[in-house]
Amino acid sequence: MKRSGIASLALALTLTCALPAADPNIPFKMFKLKNGLTVVLSEDHTAPTYSIAVSYNAGSRDEKAGRTGFAHLFEHMMFQGSANAAKGEHSSLISANGGSLNGTTNNDRTLYYETLPANQLDLGLFLEADRMRALNVNQANLDNQRNAVQEERRLRVDNQPYGQTFESVDDLVYDTFAYKHSVIGSMEDLNAASLDDVKEFFKRYYAPNNAVIAIVGDFKTDEALAKVKKYFEEIPSQPAPPRPDVSQPAQKAERRKTLEDGFAQLPRLDIIFRIPDGQNPDYFAMRVLCQVLSGGQSSRLVQKLVRDQEVAASASASADQRRGPGIAQIAVLVRPGKDLAAIEKTVYEELEKLKTTPVEDWELEKVRTANKRSQIQGAQGTLNRAANFAETTTNYGDPNLVNIEYQKIAAVTKEDIQRVAKKYLTQENRSVIITLPKKAAPAAQPKQ
Amino acid sequence: MKKLILILLPGLIWSQAAPAPAPAAAKPPAKSGVEAPLNRAPVSKEVLHVKLPRAVEMRLDNGLTVLILEDHRLPVISMNLELRSAGALREPAAMTGLATATASMLREGAGARNSKQIAEAIDRLAASIGASAGQASVGTNFTMSGLAENFDQWFPLAVDILLHPTFPADEWAKLKQRQLVSLRSQRTSAGFLVSERFSKAVYGDHPASIVSATPATLEAITPEAMKKWHDERYVPQTAILGIAGDVTPAQIMPKLKAAFAAWKSTELKAAPVPPTAPAGEKRVFIVNRPGSVQTNLAMGNIAIDRRSPDYVALVVMNNILGGGSTARLFNNLREDKGYTYGAYSSVSAGEYAGPWSATSEVRTDVTEGAMREFFNEFNRMRDEKVPAAELEEKKRSVVARFALSLESPQSVLSLSITRKVYGLPEDYWDTYPAQISAVTAEDIQRVARKYLNLDNIQIIAVGDEAKIKPVLEKYGKVAVYDVDGKLM
Repeated sequence: MKRSGIASLALALTLTCALPAADPNIPFKMFKLKNGLTVVLSEDHTAPTYSIAVSYNAGSRDEKAGRTGFAHLFEHMMFQGSANAAKGEHSSLISANGGSLNGTTNNDRTLYYETLPANQLDLGLFLEADRMRALNVNQANLDNQRNAVQEERRLRVDNQPYGQTFESVDDLVYDTFAYKHSVIGSMEDLNAASLDDVKEFFKRYYAPNNAVIAIVGDFKTDEALAKVKKYFEEIPSQPAPPRPDVSQPAQKAERRKTLEDGFAQLPRLDIIFRIPDGQNPDYFAMRVLCQVLSGGQSSRLVQKLVRDQEVAASASASADQRRGPGIAQIAVLVRPGKDLAAIEKTVYEELEKLKTTPVEDWELEKVRTANKRSQIQGAQGTLNRAANFAETTTNYGDPNLVNIEYQKIAAVTKEDIQRVAKKYLTQENRSVIITLPKKAAPAAQPKQ
Repeated sequence: MKKLILILLPGLIWSQAAPAPAPAAAKPPAKSGVEAPLNRAPVSKEVLHVKLPRAVEMRLDNGLTVLILEDHRLPVISMNLELRSAGALREPAAMTGLATATASMLREGAGARNSKQIAEAIDRLAASIGASAGQASVGTNFTMSGLAENFDQWFPLAVDILLHPTFPADEWAKLKQRQLVSLRSQRTSAGFLVSERFSKAVYGDHPASIVSATPATLEAITPEAMKKWHDERYVPQTAILGIAGDVTPAQIMPKLKAAFAAWKSTELKAAPVPPTAPAGEKRVFIVNRPGSVQTNLAMGNIAIDRRSPDYVALVVMNNILGGGSTARLFNNLREDKGYTYGAYSSVSAGEYAGPWSATSEVRTDVTEGAMREFFNEFNRMRDEKVPAAELEEKKRSVVARFALSLESPQSVLSLSITRKVYGLPEDYWDTYPAQISAVTAEDIQRVARKYLNLDNIQIIAVGDEAKIKPVLEKYGKVAVYDVDGKLM
């Protein structure tokens, strides 16, 4: 029942004063087990829940030629049962106990996670440890998940407008294999994946010394650490896997590609620049630059192309954070009948302004405040923090980057933005993809 | 500090003993891709005490209902004003899109600010301010959120946008052009096409069948019509303001009173929505999308509204049938057959009776197998009693999931709003776990037979007509539409 308003109010005020002021810093402790497993623990007792995130240092960049899509296909295999959990049992147990779970693969890492009520800490740890120690794989499950992944590809790429545009970006911009292919992979390569591939990949990459486990939530650090040791420490380590070469020869000239898309209704312009890796100070300056270009309705590209000139349906700019060389991508969805070449020219004029004139005070203030809000809201719920700690530690070795990143963005100056604009937003450093609606059948062509 | 929220907020006590693990003998059916559980993982038997904080309810003199959920974990505040007289369902048919247009135009000019000044003011404060009126919506949602530290700047700005929009004609001309472009591009998405045809099939002539404006209805909308809509329907007496975050009632109530002093109540009453009814006979629709490499399937019919006594049983039934990645549809169509990336079911129950539906995207050449398995699962749900272990697992899942909602003040607040909006009993959420626990296999079978009615089911398939028509014809006479929505 409701207590009286006055009583609960008094209590609330007392507690409000006791709480620290807005501090976006997330406390944590890091440990290393005997077998090389890195453990990051962060207590938060504000809700009776916890999240566990296990990040493996294996992404699509670790794939071999002829096996594109394999890291992600393997991710699916991690839900097919292990020595002490039947196929489907892992998911059933998490769900039946009120939790949620999933996995995700990108270029640089593969991440698995669960959120559960706090009294089920053993359950989450047991299941993650069991599949790290002894994954069950067989041909029937591989064939089944190959089908599921191929449907995922059809759903997200082959049956969607701009699906091939999305896939062409990495292929056009990168020169070395590690980042040149998509995470989802080709149908051909998915078909070629064998049970031996799965076994080899598991042994090589799914070892404790190649993983980070992060747990955030309602537990005591020493108790949680003891449980992590109990479930994980006996899993044998493996030789450190080889790391892919992600370095690239310098780009010497602009690259261009034109695509025809049977599903697209509107032309689309993509302009992509190579940028440094995701911990380089220039990366953070590029990220702020991209926010000035397209963060919010008041941003430059949205105001210019969507609102004033009315030539675009949407315009966005983003800087992709990767362990190796990254990309900054500008994407413009063009309105029917508008001049693509003129729009491309307008974008370049906007980029030139960033080189010649410092951004306005209010623009920088806006990015900093948005960044502060996003850092604070990122701490809502345990999952986001656990995933961030696990992924960041896998990619860069230091969980505290989760906290410092906010300061790195806040430290970007007007001069930094001008400098990186001049350095990276150049003609020889760019790739341009133009996607045009396909005129002829069998394209889906609504009459207007 | 431990369990801060539990001490801080008056709440309810939920006690849910974790039942013993399912016996190993309860094998899942042969059709399923999952195997019998090994039951070796450690599941805590500890009683899980979940205390859900309850929002404080207040009312302003103008009739506005306010629900406040204090949560001081993060220095942020989010507010959601549901204007329950201003939904798309209530707009004149000739001006379909009026509610959405009005909502979108709020930011295009308000008080002394023009569109660009509003955008800059919002972005500088890193606030989120905007309104939307979704398809078939009862109300328009006006949302405002941001940092607690600059609340006194973004809240007045939001109120100005809410109460004093100017609806400039030139901005409407521009917005209309943007909306016309998106009307065109949405038709490239198979997902849009399937939901459009499904809504038309299940809702028939009901206004909820309308999913989108047309170029003609957009042209009919004028700044004067929007102003009138705003004057008549953005009224406090039928609205609910939900607030979650770093506030106390004592701090915020004076600010609300001051900000909304000039927002006067009117005579407008909350009008009931006309009732919906299930489509009367089984029908099959194809939307021909040439070049498709998958078939997007959706099937179902009108079931219940949120106040229905069958709600709880249908929630549990849906969890068994297709409510997630541990349910029957997913296990069968994906984990066993490999037809799809996902197969799910859902129940939409709100102010008026909405549909149950089952959906999937399958590669074209397994459309036939997928249809067969969907119907196998519908029939199994209707014909066979749910095994005890499966029922217990799904019931436990629904109840235990509430612990996770404690991570998000918005989730907890939404429970209070749901209770308020649908006039559910004061102790509704206190008794909810007990209601779920009381659902029996007989209840599940009863609601399955009642609502998964295969005699009047509506079946939609978006894909390559030439390849899938022979398959769909086995389920009834097929009506074929093109991607423009025209009957071919």
